[in-house]
Amino acid sequence: MSGGLVLQAVVVGLSVGAVYGLVGVGFSLLWSLTRVIAFAHGDIVIGSVLLAVLAVIGTTPVAVSPDVARSIALVLLALAFGIALSVASYAVAIRPFLGRRHRADDLLGWVAGGVTAGLVIRTALGVALPAAAYAVPDPLHLDGFGSSGVGSLPDGGSVPVRVFPVLVVAAIVVVAADRLLVLSSIGRAIRSVADDPDTAAMCGVPIERTLLVAFAVAGFLAAVAGVLYVPSAAVSVDRGVVLGLAGAAAALLGRFGRPRDAVVGGLVLGVVQQLTVVTPHLGAAWSELVPLLVLVVVLAVRPGGLLAPREAYAE
Amino acid sequence: MTTLATDLYLLVAAYGLAVAVSYAGLPVLGQGAFVAVGAFGTMQLAAHSVPLGVAVLTAIAAAAVAGYLVGFAAARLAGASLALATWGLAWLAYVALTLFPRLSGGAQGLTRPAPARLVSPSLGVEVSLHPWVHVVIATAISVVAGAALWRSARTAWGLDLAALRTGPALAHSLGVPVQRRRRAVLAVAAALGAAGGGGTAVLLGVVAPADYSPLLSLQLFVAVLVGGTATWWGPVIGVALLSALPNTADAIASGFDVDPLRARAVLTAVLLVAALAARGPIHRLLTWLPSVGPPADIGDASQAPALPATTATPLLELRSVRATYGAVVALDGIDLDLCAGEVHALIGPNGSGKSTALRIAAGTIDATAGEVLRHTDVVRTLQRTAALGELSAATQVAIGARARERVPYAGLRELLSTPAAQPLRRGRAAAVSDALTVVGLGNRGDAATRELDSAEQRLLQIARAVATGAPALLLDEPAAGMSAAQRARLAGVLRALADVGHGVLLVEHDMALVGRVADRVTVLEAGRVIATGTPERVRSDPEVARAYLGLSVA
Repeated sequence: MSGGLVLQAVVVGLSVGAVYGLVGVGFSLLWSLTRVIAFAHGDIVIGSVLLAVLAVIGTTPVAVSPDVARSIALVLLALAFGIALSVASYAVAIRPFLGRRHRADDLLGWVAGGVTAGLVIRTALGVALPAAAYAVPDPLHLDGFGSSGVGSLPDGGSVPVRVFPVLVVAAIVVVAADRLLVLSSIGRAIRSVADDPDTAAMCGVPIERTLLVAFAVAGFLAAVAGVLYVPSAAVSVDRGVVLGLAGAAAALLGRFGRPRDAVVGGLVLGVVQQLTVVTPHLGAAWSELVPLLVLVVVLAVRPGGLLAPREAYAE
Repeated sequence: MTTLATDLYLLVAAYGLAVAVSYAGLPVLGQGAFVAVGAFGTMQLAAHSVPLGVAVLTAIAAAAVAGYLVGFAAARLAGASLALATWGLAWLAYVALTLFPRLSGGAQGLTRPAPARLVSPSLGVEVSLHPWVHVVIATAISVVAGAALWRSARTAWGLDLAALRTGPALAHSLGVPVQRRRRAVLAVAAALGAAGGGGTAVLLGVVAPADYSPLLSLQLFVAVLVGGTATWWGPVIGVALLSALPNTADAIASGFDVDPLRARAVLTAVLLVAALAARGPIHRLLTWLPSVGPPADIGDASQAPALPATTATPLLELRSVRATYGAVVALDGIDLDLCAGEVHALIGPNGSGKSTALRIAAGTIDATAGEVLRHTDVVRTLQRTAALGELSAATQVAIGARARERVPYAGLRELLSTPAAQPLRRGRAAAVSDALTVVGLGNRGDAATRELDSAEQRLLQIARAVATGAPALLLDEPAAGMSAAQRARLAGVLRALADVGHGVLLVEHDMALVGRVADRVTVLEAGRVIATGTPERVRSDPEVARAYLGLSVA
């Protein structure tokens, strides 16, 4: 493979990886707070966008650019649906199975709750949107930066122009979320609950409200990921699960439960995946398996993530 | 007949999953992947002219190995990571099948002639596998699986599964090889899943990727979930519900003009929601209803199982042990020993390293430096009373008794009632009753653990540890939450245990209890031993007074 192809794979990989990172941040954040893996998180990524499409455009989205008003409505509704779905999945499918200290208690309960919430989201969407896949117009008009939508790289590579603004938007959102966690009072509350719910409660942190905000933040990030990802190719409603598992794999490449790791993990995963595409004998089909293989292998080797210390049994 | 046979093969796969989910408490979301390994493995091998029987068995063995390997993901963080890993596996299998037509035969799937024929030239027989043959085979496997689970309730296997399900940390502290058991359970689950898949493939003569989507994994999961915890008939109910699902889905699909596969997903979601509702709110209501039981009273502690060695030999020695958590030094070179026949109290302010010393002594964590000599079996109780609400007190103690049995294939022997099984079972029953009696819970064996008050739960923890037969007992704050009267009883229990030859290492805050029961007291402060000796001597030690009361020594 030529240098141009490699460069192309790296550039595209970074933009795909940025999306994985946004999804992974949600998994890590929610795990650190509740010790629950948010199984519906991937479905929320796709679900938020498709619900917004249903509301604004209807059941036959076509890949023509929507006008300004519709574009704004699409983005705002997608963000709102992302927040709403995440908070709802918490209230209905996770909260009933948390125990003392708002930490995971009934294992089979929250696992079943999470996969059920995901199944409900994609089944409902599948009934409303029965076709195998949908090409969704880009509400951010990120293709509009180049004349043809395709940019040339040195050594003969070419990439969709949208990968650059996708990276910029993802970077802005990730940095903003990170600053929110570090600087704001609600961020402090979130970190304190993640560290020790008992002490946080004693210091007057409203745990229930903090968790709701954290699930809202995760839903917001999921929706951003969806808005960036969905227009890049035709998507099926089932795509959400695979995207979610890729996000979880990204989070596992660092230390599961440390949101910043997920961003780096996502970029690494995206680049590896795209390099697989241009590797002779492997190609696109194998690249689809990369995130899932990474997920299963990392879990078998280091269940807490590659950078996690080996842990003893929880007492 | 064909429909019945496919449902029965589904039941086989469901029984496999039930062992993992409802018996061992492992959240396996990828049983469909193992079923697919059985189905596509059989078809691929048969297509490469491997004899059919060998093909099926090879596919089953491959799935068992895969399940065993997945068991490594069930390692220490257990539940959550296993759920994620198996869910990932379900999608990995499905995505691979849809992306690699050479593997799966594409959307049309792989086909072979049905009914299949089994030909054995050496025996000169030729059998045609009509659907009724499949019904017989699948029924036989299901009956064996169901009967094994039904009979296992009080056997070694049942106790192992109960230990995995209710408290891995606790089981580990009692000496149950938790990781090994989990891997074995997952291997069995995967093998039965593959058996179901392989059988279905041979029966129908066609396998297509769409039938092995992650939806199948979720359907099997819900089939196991609706049957509740550890019931041999649960999978039967679950699969009966599933077998009604395709027809209902088709009716819905034609009535409301939706894709039949979507209609199945809708029904699966409905089943899952129903199973969850039964689990969460309804379960909570049932456990909230005031439980009726005899009033708690702590019994007589005069009887105790005798141990072989009752001389004052050291059971356990710690030599210059150091332990650090990152930059924090928890133990800074301590010496500690425990002899048979003594109650040795380990006291000290919070954070002085008591629990760390106990964990190192029990082998739960390793010392950073220094030497730990265990001359005998050592068992440790946990500070938190593990909430194993559903099991009876006797079963919990039996888990302890089972943890250290050194009988190979005990589970199999008991299942088949071999001659060796009777003494094994009697011995275990005796160990349970002795252990319950010595802590004064002899009359509470049948009570569910949640019916016991907190003092009784503490005593039950001790009974569990005693039942393991380990001479060295390490007890972490056994008197927490006890009234004065209950503490007096506890003191009697500890004394009785020491008198029959146990060495009791006691971490305790209550100085009155320590003064009453301990032969020797070791005081820790900031990871160092600052005093050791009889309770009287330690009490008058100026260093100890300073550590506890902050008095400056004149």
